[in-house]
Amino acid sequence: MPLVKRNIDPRHLCHTALPRGIKNELECVTNISLANIIRQLSSLSKYAEDIFGELFNEAHSFSFRVNSLQERVDRLSVSVTQLDPKEEELSLQDITMRKAFRSSTIQDQQLFDRKSLPIPLQETYDVCEQPPPLNILTPYRDDGKEGLKFYTNPSYFFDLWKEKMLQDTEDKRKEKRKQKVLQEIQKIEQKNLDRPHEPEKVPRAPHDRRREWQKLAQGPELAEDDANLLHKHIEVANGPASHFETRPQTYVDHMDGSYSLSALPFSQMSELLTRAEERVLVRPHEPPPPPPMHGAGDAKPIPTCISSATGLIENRPQSPATGRTPVFVSPTPPPPPPPLPSALSTSSLRASMTSTPPPPVPPPPPPPATTLQAPAVPPPPAPLQIAPGVLHPAPPPIAPPLVQPSPPVARAAPVCETVPVHPLPQGEVQGLPPPPPPPPLPPPGIRPSSPVTVAALAHPPSGLHPTPSTAPGPHVPLMPPSPPSQVVPASEPKRHPSTLPVISDARSVLLEAIRKGIQLRKVEEQREQEAKHERIENDVATILSRRIAVEYSDSEDDSEFDEVDWLE
Amino acid sequence: MAGQEDPVQREIHQDWANQEYIEIITSSIKKIADFLNSFDMSCCSRLATLNEKLTALERRIEYIEARVTKGETLT
Repeated sequence: MPLVKRNIDPRHLCHTALPRGIKNELECVTNISLANIIRQLSSLSKYAEDIFGELFNEAHSFSFRVNSLQERVDRLSVSVTQLDPKEEELSLQDITMRKAFRSSTIQDQQLFDRKSLPIPLQETYDVCEQPPPLNILTPYRDDGKEGLKFYTNPSYFFDLWKEKMLQDTEDKRKEKRKQKVLQEIQKIEQKNLDRPHEPEKVPRAPHDRRREWQKLAQGPELAEDDANLLHKHIEVANGPASHFETRPQTYVDHMDGSYSLSALPFSQMSELLTRAEERVLVRPHEPPPPPPMHGAGDAKPIPTCISSATGLIENRPQSPATGRTPVFVSPTPPPPPPPLPSALSTSSLRASMTSTPPPPVPPPPPPPATTLQAPAVPPPPAPLQIAPGVLHPAPPPIAPPLVQPSPPVARAAPVCETVPVHPLPQGEVQGLPPPPPPPPLPPPGIRPSSPVTVAALAHPPSGLHPTPSTAPGPHVPLMPPSPPSQVVPASEPKRHPSTLPVISDARSVLLEAIRKGIQLRKVEEQREQEAKHERIENDVATILSRRIAVEYSDSEDDSEFDEVDWLE
Repeated sequence: MAGQEDPVQREIHQDWANQEYIEIITSSIKKIADFLNSFDMSCCSRLATLNEKLTALERRIEYIEARVTKGETLT
């Protein structure tokens, strides 16, 4: 139904009641009609004046715009004639430093607002009855809302839409941030996966080139297979050999990595682990990644734990261990050593992969091991000195036991990581493969007699003791005692804080910085939200543009966009 | 009969004449109102096209100005 904008007032000329006592009624009617005609003419003149006024206002604004445009064109023509193509600067700085072109076009919005109501319609509206004066009750309300808003609220739908848009932008932003974090984790994972090649490739550079040429010669189709085989061969060949070389380096890093793992909140960790798990399970065809051994420069604690998780998870496709996922996914910080080593033990370990589980498993075993070693520093040297001859034959037989998927091996491996740390500073038995000796120690049935030896070498075996394994114990002299094993796990969690100062300051500082960064981001987000809520904007364009920016652009662009909007 | 008819007739005739007069006036008022409406609509449409052209011109001029003028760097 069309809305009548202007009305000629006396609609009916002679629909009025005739006064009584008139002789000539026809004349009366005529006169009344004529009078109404005059009234109609007056409203018509008002009608016309209104129309012409609107048209005039529009044309007037256009004339202003046209004049300004004329001036600009004149100026431009003058400046164009002054342009000299030879003078053009081609410096790169200018291209990047110049202010980006932003058109200042105004978008029409809030078209049907109360303020934009035309005058004749406003007058028609004023003629209507007013709503009941419910605003009188506003001071008596608790929630501070206007009383009239409950009866009739002209801005109701707009407020609804605005809130929905803002909520959507917030949700999208959170999603983007999560995706960003995931992407970062993925990148770091990939970096970690790629890095292990570095220490291996150095001695094998010439060989790789030959291989590459061979691959090229065979063609792209066969090259991929060769790459897979090459990786596998390298892993197999380097496994036992590089195992001992890289371990001392990796142990330090893994200690830091383990540190970071324990420092992170459990929920975050489990979330990351589950995500890594999902990603890993999605791509089952990937060749077994090379031992995710972290380089010395690896400063990201999260990636280390993730890579460890992926390394462990990727073990699963190799081994028929489907039921082990829950075991691994649910590591609780308090009892870290038992669950992780058990998960490790369940997964089948290749010779090449043995090096990976121990480093990746870091979190609880290394810290507890390091804490354990703090008091045991004096004793370890002694037992190591005592049994140098015993340890030497250990290395060769160590390789086979490492291959076996036995809990003691798994347990000993992570715990053994800490052992080399302490002997390293002491400069003793560095050449020995620290991890190897502990793993063979586990033989559950054997009980040591000397508590000293137990303290030194029983750390790993102590951890193994609770989990009886059928692993063979080629090293009979090294026997784990049962009491220390019981004591060790109890003291492991307590030693976590004591090992904090032991770890390099760089790592702790980095961790704190990361934590602060996360906190800072949260505070900034809150501040942004508060600022937004304070500025009650009814700008449809900005709301929509912000939402669209969040949807279709990266999170980085989104933040830039927001700043620009606020500036504008 | 003729006497009775004359005044009534005269009145009726007069009335008819008056009504015709009123009718002419009201129809002319309606014509004016129609003219005003159509004038308003056509003017609005023309002004709208003018507005479009003006905005297009303004955008082009802005772009050309940005291209031609130098020295608008961020620092």
